Amino acid sequence: MHSPRLRTAIFAGGVALTLGLTGCGLGATPQDGSGDSAGGNTLTIYTARDKGLADSVVADFVAANPDFEGNVEVLTLGAQEALERIRAEKTNPQGDIWWGGTSQQMQQAASDGVLSAAPQSVIDAVPAASRDADGLWVGEMKLAEVIVYNHDMLSAADAPKDWDDLIAPALNDQIAIRDVAASGTMRSIYSAMIDQRFDEAGSPEAGYDWLRALDANTKVYAANPTDLYLRLTRQEAAVTAWNLQDVMLQIEQQNAPYTAVVPTSGAPMLVDGVAKIADGPSSAGADAFLEFLLSEPTQTTLAETYFQIPSIELATEPSWLADLNLKEMDVDWSRVAENETAWIDYWATNIKGQN
Amino acid sequence: MTLMQRLSQRRSGLTSSDRFVYWISVPLILVLLVYIVFPMLATAITSAEGGGEAYGGFISGSSGKALGLSVGISLVSVFTTCVIGTGLAVLLTRFDFPGRQVLRIFALLPMALPPLIGAVSFYFLYAESGIIPRFLAAYFGADAAAVSANGVAGVILVHSLTMYPYFYLAVSSALSGSDASLEEASLNLGASRCRMWRTVILPMLTPALVSGALLTFMVSMASFTAPQFYNVQTLTMQIVASRTSGAYSTAAAQSVVLSVVSILFLLIMRWYQNRRVYRSLSKGTPQSLTVIQGFIPRSVAAIGSLIIVVILMAPAATIALLAFTVDGSWTIQILPPEYTLGNFAKIFADPESLHPILVSTQMALLGMVGCVLVGVLAAFVVTRWSGPGKGLLDVMVMIPWALPGTVIGVNLVTAFASPTPFNLGQVLIGSLWILPVAYFVRFLPLVFRSANAALAQIDPSLEEAARNLGADTLRAIRTITVPLMSRGILAGALMAFIQGFGEYVASVVIYPAQFAPVSVEIYNRIYSNEFGTAAAYGTLQMVLIVIVLIIAQRLEKPRGQRGLRQKVATRTALPLPVMNT
Repeated sequence: MHSPRLRTAIFAGGVALTLGLTGCGLGATPQDGSGDSAGGNTLTIYTARDKGLADSVVADFVAANPDFEGNVEVLTLGAQEALERIRAEKTNPQGDIWWGGTSQQMQQAASDGVLSAAPQSVIDAVPAASRDADGLWVGEMKLAEVIVYNHDMLSAADAPKDWDDLIAPALNDQIAIRDVAASGTMRSIYSAMIDQRFDEAGSPEAGYDWLRALDANTKVYAANPTDLYLRLTRQEAAVTAWNLQDVMLQIEQQNAPYTAVVPTSGAPMLVDGVAKIADGPSSAGADAFLEFLLSEPTQTTLAETYFQIPSIELATEPSWLADLNLKEMDVDWSRVAENETAWIDYWATNIKGQN
Repeated sequence: MTLMQRLSQRRSGLTSSDRFVYWISVPLILVLLVYIVFPMLATAITSAEGGGEAYGGFISGSSGKALGLSVGISLVSVFTTCVIGTGLAVLLTRFDFPGRQVLRIFALLPMALPPLIGAVSFYFLYAESGIIPRFLAAYFGADAAAVSANGVAGVILVHSLTMYPYFYLAVSSALSGSDASLEEASLNLGASRCRMWRTVILPMLTPALVSGALLTFMVSMASFTAPQFYNVQTLTMQIVASRTSGAYSTAAAQSVVLSVVSILFLLIMRWYQNRRVYRSLSKGTPQSLTVIQGFIPRSVAAIGSLIIVVILMAPAATIALLAFTVDGSWTIQILPPEYTLGNFAKIFADPESLHPILVSTQMALLGMVGCVLVGVLAAFVVTRWSGPGKGLLDVMVMIPWALPGTVIGVNLVTAFASPTPFNLGQVLIGSLWILPVAYFVRFLPLVFRSANAALAQIDPSLEEAARNLGADTLRAIRTITVPLMSRGILAGALMAFIQGFGEYVASVVIYPAQFAPVSVEIYNRIYSNEFGTAAAYGTLQMVLIVIVLIIAQRLEKPRGQRGLRQKVATRTALPLPVMNT
């Protein structure tokens, strides 16, 4: 008859099937609550924000709106994955809110028709420059891109003060850069650098030259943000360019040996947004959440505890920000949006790793 | 349609087993069409938007160069993994030496590396600030930058050390299923050992080697993490860059070219394998283990296997080391300066944090069951199908293996988002079912290839004999074919389960609310730079998988010598089952 092995295999298969079909032990999460029929007060959020940050905001939201108790789902995923997921779910949207994405990513989703307008009060609160004209997405915060160095490796005197210091011979093989082509943030920073030098000759050439010099000083391109932090902390490289919020959080939460420098010529400020997904399961919930998120009390808390630079006007600036003397770099973002793909393609093909 | 016509035309000339193959191929093809072919067609359609303009990059430059690099890296990876995997398989199935049992478990450990921190562990080992370069620099005065793994060499290092199990599993199951009498015959006829290996064993291993080569080639074509870590501009890097810049049709065109190249490789390998028949009619005893005798040979073998174990488990051990390290404390030292149990305490303190492990275990199991059912059936049909179309069926099963994981995830979500005739009205998004379906689609090729290689060694006349003796087709398959291919099935199922358990790239695009798999949880921790807890999760995952590996080995190993003899007895007396009823 059957070999014992076959019998065991069939048995194992049977157990697997039973386990799988009954969903053993699944669905017992505390958030499960009373299911999804509680008067439509459910909310599904796709977020690229830090999980701790997202969870604390959601907890405050539920405290302020007890109807949502146990009915808010938070799915954490990268901004690019969120965009791809929302696009793919277009015919049957599963999420209500997309929280965290660059303005380019948000704009892409808006033109694909997968977003719908935020409530008018939210649109009015956010300056026109930091949102879609129709409010299909709104900027929640501004990410200041600054220079960062490991103060165990460089003294404050030797540390770069401005962008041009990054291409000085002194920093040869001292710089780590988050790989550019696969990162929305880095694409924007590099494009901003090209844009800064565009008007001199009316062409991107001057910018390309500057990036060539930076490439020559770049020791390593890091695969992802974590890799970047590792290489900086473990002293493979001393300097990088990264966004201020993440750096401050690393310093505060991980005790990282970093010091942030606001470049004297200014920091490019990137808008990071939040949007309501079109035809999501809970339109009212999405509106309520957006109103809560972009309210002054929430943004004040986020600014003070998570080093955010809110896009809405706050009555009082958080103290850490006031001390920094943050100056915004003047970038023609519409020109950047138009040329980013071509510029970064050129950089990846003709500049990266060749100097 | 054409299939049905052919069926009715040829019915008169068909044997019952031919007819059986055609009948089971109908549901099989339906499953493949609905879950694999239709969803994946979306990529081809997207790539054609704008009239094929998206393919321009292959003619004018950067994409073409990237493709060349991808193919080159994949070919070298096939070579290195073949050497490592086959070498290990021969060593472990043919020789008995001290340390063999341990090595057998650890040989599969690289498959258990959690996807995201797996790459990080290579960083902590071989990068400029890694353990080995720093060690060499501190004690031997080497230049840390010069001895670190970098660029293309780094990618090949990672590929070699993580992908050799595809060869190892296929070759070891082929070797344990081979018949010692063939080898003895060739030796009796005067062949040298070397000649015997070249003319008897290696040819018999062809299906296994083809299976390993295919899986390795395709997976390294689609590999992204390693090129990203070592900054090698492969085609997958270009795909991600295109997606990031919003150029979806270019990304789709690049994916299509990637899979077309992989499929060409598949067709070439099929042609190569089909030039000969590798079946063996006798199903005798496998070659017994050569016990290494003598003090010096035994010590050499023991030290050798220890070294291999250390190399193979180094990445896993690094993850375990990280799990006990205080976050942020390990900066310029060779080894971490401060240790803690806090990372595990953090996980176990929150009852919710074990939920992802439950999700991944069950979803991967379900996916695996699907892979086994469909994969074995598909292998059976592809091997026994008489007439044209085999190659097409093979390609249908293998397409997902040639595509990057994100592409598969996005395609599945698109395909099962709302009811259409193509998905037979099934809406899977938002339900738990989409996870096992994704694992099924992604890892079906593993079971299929492995079962295929096993079947290629079995002569159908064994089955025919059983039928002549009165068994019906199903019974013949159940009692003769399936037991003979069980090692292959088990090996494939193991790979499918392990890889499903740690799957990230497709999972993150599809996972339903409340059911985050382990990989997503690990991503969350890494994203907040909590390496310690991420590694602790990874360590739990590896421990679980090692347990599965040990169980699988128990399943595979005949119970002692006595059990082996018994099995031989039933095999030589094939007609027995008929009398048993």
